[in-house]
Amino acid sequence: MTATPVHDLLVSLQLSDSAFPSGFYTMSHGLEGYRQAGAVTTDGVENLLSGVLIHSVGPGDATALARAHEAVLAEDWPRVQLVDQMLFASKLNAEMRRASVRSGHQLTDIAAETIGGPELARWRRDVHDKSTPGCQPVATAVAYAASGVGQEQAVASDMSAFAVSFLGAALRLRLLDHRQVQVVLHGIGSVIEEATRAAVHRDLEDLGGCAPMADVMSAQHERAEARLFAS
Amino acid sequence: MSENVLRIGIGGPVGSGKTALTEALVPRLLAAGRHPAVITNDIYTQEDAQHVRRELAGILDPDRVVGVETGACPHTAVRDDPTMNLAAGAEMLERHPEVDTLLYESGGDNLTLTFSPSLADVFVFVLDTSEGEKMPRKRGPGITESDILVINKIDIAQYVRTDLGVMESDAHRVRDGKPVILTNSLTGVGVDALQDQVLALWNARPTALSR
Repeated sequence: MTATPVHDLLVSLQLSDSAFPSGFYTMSHGLEGYRQAGAVTTDGVENLLSGVLIHSVGPGDATALARAHEAVLAEDWPRVQLVDQMLFASKLNAEMRRASVRSGHQLTDIAAETIGGPELARWRRDVHDKSTPGCQPVATAVAYAASGVGQEQAVASDMSAFAVSFLGAALRLRLLDHRQVQVVLHGIGSVIEEATRAAVHRDLEDLGGCAPMADVMSAQHERAEARLFAS
Repeated sequence: MSENVLRIGIGGPVGSGKTALTEALVPRLLAAGRHPAVITNDIYTQEDAQHVRRELAGILDPDRVVGVETGACPHTAVRDDPTMNLAAGAEMLERHPEVDTLLYESGGDNLTLTFSPSLADVFVFVLDTSEGEKMPRKRGPGITESDILVINKIDIAQYVRTDLGVMESDAHRVRDGKPVILTNSLTGVGVDALQDQVLALWNARPTALSR
């Protein structure tokens, strides 16, 4: 099948759609923890998202997606598993690991049914056999690679999906209203571009972010009496 | 998920008695020789999961009760994107392979909540008398599409100006005769009939009949 820009766009739109059943709507990606600690206000959401993209998602999930994508194209399945295991190990908080793996497993099943092909069939087998954790960014990488969508677009699309999910949580946490969400999302585009570029070029050995405050907020969130979100 | 696992989805407005119904069903399912587990979708706290564990202490292993956060979207979690509930169910079956019945309790929502057939084999919607006699007439997919409609708290109907006969007949009318069961989940009235109806629907499913 010859991929066209419109074909690639449609795949990106489907996989990054907030209605795509990946379970993303149950995740605040740490934002609820910050909110509960009183460490974020309406004015600080954009800055926090920017920081998370550059220092956490970029070096973590996005880099894993880039490295896994090229490993799938090279049919290097041991390397795909290595990326998955390293990403899993880099997530310090249990709720983050659990959320990523739950989402990854569901996404794997749905992508295998929706997109199909030998790559997703192989990945799905490895996940079900428990030879690999099955983190969401790696599952997403396999889906994009199987669809013929290029690495950079795949990384940027997934980062956009993350941003939409983060801001959706901000909306439900009453940190932003529906218009502010759109303003912030549009404005964060340049940060996504920068973080995408860095992720595509980052070595696997450098995988893993450094966002200690976010880790602390997530750890506190795990023990919160009341939670809207799973992470 | 295995075709042999019965998944019961219990939905309904806040406070209608979903948790109480779940707690009343579990001992009956055990007595019927089934092996249940519970997945609750309390929208905010682990309160429901803890309540169920406490009420069923000595009856059900606490590890067979889990809570799943739904990001403030109770109907999304059981309809538009049930993946996190499906994942929790799969994890439960892995930990406890003997489980053959999963009870999914949704977070309280409005009359439009429905369970996706990919999540629940039998969808039970729980109303209660204190919500008002006119509630069935308001319809809503939860009331009209559910496999079984439960009208709970029949013991207090008189105190909340609800004519139970009117509520029940309205419910039958808007549901085109599909099952309506009156209960008092706290004393157990009607819960046996509910279980019988759930199991009857389960045993009448196409894959069961083809055996």
